[in-house]
Amino acid sequence: MEEIKVNGYLVLTDRRYTESDEWVKLEGELAKVGITDYAQKKLKDIVSVELPETGSEVKAGESIAVVESIKSVADIYTPLDGVVELINEKLLDQPELINDDPYGEGWIFALRPADKSKYDELLTPQQYAERIRKAEGG
Amino acid sequence: MRRIPLREVHKELGAEFGEFEGWETPMIYESTVKEHLAVRSNAGVFDVSHMGRILLRGSHVYDFLEYMVPKSLSKVSVGSMSGPTALLNENAGFRDDVMLYNLGENEWMLVCNAANIEKVLGWLKSWRSKLGYDVEIEDATAKLVMLALQGPRSSEYVEKLGADDSVLGLKMLRFQRDVRLGDTKAFLVSRSGWTGEDGFEIIAEPRNAAVVLRRLVEMGVKPAGLAARDTLRLEVGFVLYGHDIDEETNPLEARYWVYTPGKTNYVGYEALREIIRKGVERVRVAVKMKKGERGIPRENYRILVEGEEIGRITSGNYSPVLRRGIGMGYVESKHALIGLEVQIDIRGRVQRAKILDFPLLKK
Repeated sequence: MEEIKVNGYLVLTDRRYTESDEWVKLEGELAKVGITDYAQKKLKDIVSVELPETGSEVKAGESIAVVESIKSVADIYTPLDGVVELINEKLLDQPELINDDPYGEGWIFALRPADKSKYDELLTPQQYAERIRKAEGG
Repeated sequence: MRRIPLREVHKELGAEFGEFEGWETPMIYESTVKEHLAVRSNAGVFDVSHMGRILLRGSHVYDFLEYMVPKSLSKVSVGSMSGPTALLNENAGFRDDVMLYNLGENEWMLVCNAANIEKVLGWLKSWRSKLGYDVEIEDATAKLVMLALQGPRSSEYVEKLGADDSVLGLKMLRFQRDVRLGDTKAFLVSRSGWTGEDGFEIIAEPRNAAVVLRRLVEMGVKPAGLAARDTLRLEVGFVLYGHDIDEETNPLEARYWVYTPGKTNYVGYEALREIIRKGVERVRVAVKMKKGERGIPRENYRILVEGEEIGRITSGNYSPVLRRGIGMGYVESKHALIGLEVQIDIRGRVQRAKILDFPLLKK
């Protein structure tokens, strides 16, 4: 899989990103969402996760999950309008999966987007990598 | 922001720095959980140079300190520490909680919280003039480094540093001055700490402390940050000034036994006696989330019984050993019942927890 490494943080090229450090990956009719390698490395030890309810209708930008680490509590925003179809219940007992594998086993929820074309408006991997570079001061 | 002397060494060791009470200090290296577990099973080393270290010398130093703290110092021999004790205000609220070291020959050291260094210096100096005592007060915080080596295997590592039996044989709350550690040396090594584990605190000049720190890490001691220090002290129920105690909190409601019953002549005595006579309206207790509840209690979260607030969390986090959210807080005395099920309002989600006694982690 293609990847970009920026200041030690991994950005995968098979998905899109948000300003608030979520990733979104299209898998069939669903959009899977998680937090980026950059976000998990900033949060460090993730010890608790709150998940949305399946079937709930959500609006882009809404906080629908919480990822909590020893040092802070982070809201997770849905990047697209849609209906939550799947949640990663494994995270309830193993929240550390987000640290171990943020782009894979550490996914948080999947939703059925109301309008798939909105995906193309999200940040490209290159744009997101550029954001990290800027945030880290070059 | 104030900087600790060994900042560059910690940077090399991979520290992520954060701000604590005006100090830029290592918060975390790779993982707080790993650092925490290393201290519980092996050993970790913290740089606690932000702690205030105040040297007191002079012919009246003993009388002066006896008047400043509620704990009796009469049995504190040279080479012993007393504490934790406290500096109380006239209402018996905490000005600070402190450790005292009898260095000998009219010389003592007081270790106080980073947040209170200036306040404590001012308080000591104003009482010195009021009492007219001959005591020299020197703030030695900036010139010395303080490392805390903590964990069940600490003494093995101290031995490997080259300490002799005078250090290895130290009992809890005893110390040695002018200690040789191989080809380097320390101003003072004490058997003490703040994690609930065996351990040693090493106070040394920066260049010597740098040698000690590097050697400990080479030997396999995990460098640990302030975040791990916080989760460790929570498991054993130690209070943190500014969160769990402050000027408005008294030793009784904090259940913080910083005074010697029967001692009568010290700042705050009259108020404390009155509080002891009347009792208190709120009590500090430990809380532990019930099994299956994954929320983490944090400062200022509400503690509820049947939907009614009975108190607030003053500090809390995740316990890496219990694998559960834990914390402490004050509840109304009438609900300060060990074993009582309560609810914690975790950002609008009410989760079940239990009121327990300290320490949550029994060793």
